[in-house]
Amino acid sequence: MAKGPLQNKIFLSLLGAVAFMFLFSFMLVPLYNVFCEVTGLNGKIYGPSDFFKTEKQIKSREVNIRFLSTVNGSAPVKFYPSSDNLEVLTDKVSSTTYVATNNTNKNITLTIIPSVSPGLAAENIKKIQCFCFEEQTLGPFETQEWPIRFYVDSDISDNVNNVYLSYTLFEKNRENPMAMNHE
Amino acid sequence: MSAVVENHNHDDHHHGPAKGFMRWLTTTNHKDIGTLYLWFSFAMFLLGGAFAMGIRAELFEPGLQLMDPIRYNQLVTMHGLIMVFGAVMPAFVGLANWLIPMQIGAPDMAMPRMNNLSFWLLPVAFTILLSTAFMEGGLPGFGWTFYAPLSTNYPNVAFFVFAVHIMGISSIMGSINVIVTIMNMRAPGMTLMKMPLFVWSWLITAYLLIAVMPVLAGAVTMLLMDAYFGTSFFDAAGGGDPVLFQHIFWFFGHPEVYIMILPAFGITSHIISTFSRKPLFGHASMVYAMVSIAVLSFVVWAHHMFTVGMPLAAELFFMWATMIIAIPTGVKVFNWCATMFKGSITYETPMLFAVAFVVLFTIGGFSGLMLAITPADFQYHDTYFVVAHFHYVLVPGSIFSIMAAVYYWLPKWTGNMYDEKMGRLHFWLSFVGVNVTFFPQHFVGLAGMPRRYADYSLQFAEWNAVSSVGAFLFGLSQLLFLYIVVKTVFAGKKATPQVWDGAEGLEWTVDSPAPYHTFETPPKVNG
Repeated sequence: MAKGPLQNKIFLSLLGAVAFMFLFSFMLVPLYNVFCEVTGLNGKIYGPSDFFKTEKQIKSREVNIRFLSTVNGSAPVKFYPSSDNLEVLTDKVSSTTYVATNNTNKNITLTIIPSVSPGLAAENIKKIQCFCFEEQTLGPFETQEWPIRFYVDSDISDNVNNVYLSYTLFEKNRENPMAMNHE
Repeated sequence: MSAVVENHNHDDHHHGPAKGFMRWLTTTNHKDIGTLYLWFSFAMFLLGGAFAMGIRAELFEPGLQLMDPIRYNQLVTMHGLIMVFGAVMPAFVGLANWLIPMQIGAPDMAMPRMNNLSFWLLPVAFTILLSTAFMEGGLPGFGWTFYAPLSTNYPNVAFFVFAVHIMGISSIMGSINVIVTIMNMRAPGMTLMKMPLFVWSWLITAYLLIAVMPVLAGAVTMLLMDAYFGTSFFDAAGGGDPVLFQHIFWFFGHPEVYIMILPAFGITSHIISTFSRKPLFGHASMVYAMVSIAVLSFVVWAHHMFTVGMPLAAELFFMWATMIIAIPTGVKVFNWCATMFKGSITYETPMLFAVAFVVLFTIGGFSGLMLAITPADFQYHDTYFVVAHFHYVLVPGSIFSIMAAVYYWLPKWTGNMYDEKMGRLHFWLSFVGVNVTFFPQHFVGLAGMPRRYADYSLQFAEWNAVSSVGAFLFGLSQLLFLYIVVKTVFAGKKATPQVWDGAEGLEWTVDSPAPYHTFETPPKVNG
C-alpha cells in the first residue's frame, strides 16, 4: 500500500488543521466580544461613564427612554422599574430607580445584566451610576430601591427617538442548576 | 481467527474475509467497513423514523393525546440528532468507503485501521446518547441545535456532549482518511479533474468536515464547562452571551448542512449520466460549483438567526451571501437537466430517485431562497415553513440520493440485481409519502404554525392530519426498502460487471460482486 512521506505529510497537516479549528472555536469568544465592543453591536454597556463635560453641549433634543425589567427563570424576586418611561434631554443627567423585593426568608445575591435596544444606541447611553455595576444582596423579605443615573449623549443618531433600557435579574449561585426540568 | 492476525502482510496474502463476528469487529477492508456504515445508518434511519412517527402521531390532531410536551421535545431532539449524525452522515461515509477506492483505482483506504476505529466509535457514541433514555431526567429535549443556556440547564447534558465528541472524532478520522486516500492513492493517469464527481464531492465534504467538526467540539465543550464547571460562555448572568452560542453553533451548522448534501450532488451526477446514456454535461463546472458552495457556506451562518437583533448591515450581508449560493446550485441543476436533454433515458429505480431528487431538492432550494429574504424571514422564522424547507432538502434531497445510490451500486456490492418492480413500488410510495408529508407544512407554516410544540391551534388541524398520514405512508414504505435490500443480498438475477449499460467508471470494470480485494495493481487511466 502506498504509504510514505507524502501520506504522513498530508495526515499531519490535516491533524494540524483540526487542532487549529478546535482552538479557533474558543478564539471566537474573545473575538466576538472585541467585535461587539468595537462596533457597539449587541446593545451591551461596558462599565460606568464619567460625568459629561459641558463644552460639547450644542443642541439638546428629547429622547424617550423606556425601562423594562425581567426576572430570569424562577428567581424568587419581584423586580420592576419605578417609572415605565422618561422623556430626557440629551446631554442632561437624569435619574430613576428600580425596585426589588426578596420573597424568601434567606439572603439572596443578585446579578443584573443590562441591555439596550436599538443595539447601536448602547454606546450613547452613558451611565454614571447603576445598580448593575455590582452584585446586589437582598435580606429576607427586604425591599430595596436601586438608583440609576445616566445621560444620553447628543451624538446619538437622529433616527433614534425611543431607547429601551432593559435589565434582567439573575439569582447568583442557584442551588441546583440541574433542577430546571423533570421534577 | 482474524482477531489475532496482526501480521504486516495480512492484506497482501489473506484473500477473502474471515468468518463470523470477529470479521466485522476487526475488519480493515474498505468494503466491509462501508457495509457496516450502511447497515448502521439504516438501523439509525429506522430508529429516527420511529421517533418521527411518534411526533406525527401526536400531531395528528390538536391537543395532547399520546405524550406530555417534555416527551414530545425529547422525540423531536432525538429525531434530529439521529437523522443528522446517525443516518445521513454515516450513510455517506459508508458510500465513500465502498466507492472511493474503487472509483480512483486504489486497493483500499489509506489508513485501514483508523477506518475501523472511525466506524466502531459510532455505535459507542449512540449507545451513550440513547442510554439517557433509561436515566432519571431522560433523553435530551433541547432540540438538535442545543441552544444554550437552555441546554446547560438540562439533565444528562454531559452524556449528550460526550456522544457528540465521539461522533465528531469519528467524522474527523473518516475525513482525514478520505482526503489522504484521494490525494495519495489515485491510479496513475487519474488527474484531479478526471476524478469521478462522487469522489470530488467527498473530497470537498471531507475538507468541510475537518474545518467545522472541531468547532462543534468546541461548542459542546463550552456547553459542558458552563453546565458543570461554573464558566459563563453563554450565560448572561456571568457576563456571557447566549447569542454567541448561536453564532458558534451555526458557524458549524451551515457547513454541516452542505456536508449532508454535497455527496448527494456527486451521486446524482453519476446516476443521471448513466441512465441518460450521455456523459455528464459540464463536468468541470460541477466541480467549481461544489467548491463555490463549500466556500460560501462559511459566510452565511447568521441567516439562521436573522431575528436575534443584528444590525441592518449584517442582515443585508447575510441575505445577499445566502442568495449568491443559488447561483452555483442553479448551475448544477442546469447541468443535470442538460445531461438529460436529448438523452436515451430509461427510468430504472436509481434514475427515478435521482430525477425526484433534482425536482424536489430544487423546491427545497426555492423555499430556502424565500427564507433568505430577511424581512420575509421575520414571518417565516420558527414556523413549519422552515420545517418544510429543510425536510425537502434533506429527505427527498439527501435521503433520496442515498436510496438512489443503494439501488445503483447494490448489484455491484452483492452481485445480484434487486427486484425492479419492487424498487419502483418503493420509489412511488416514498415519493407520494414525502410530498404528502411535507408539502402541507408549507401552508401551515405560512399561516403561522410555530415549530417545536406538541399542540397547535385548531385552524391547522386538517393539514396536520394530512401530513401525518403522509408520514406514516413514507415511514412504512421504508420497511419495503429493507425487504428489497435484504432480498437482494441473498438472491436475485446475477449482475454483470457492467450492470448498467450506460455506466462509466473504474468500479464497473471489476466483477459483480466486487471481489474482496480490488485494484491491488493500479489500473491505467487513459487520457
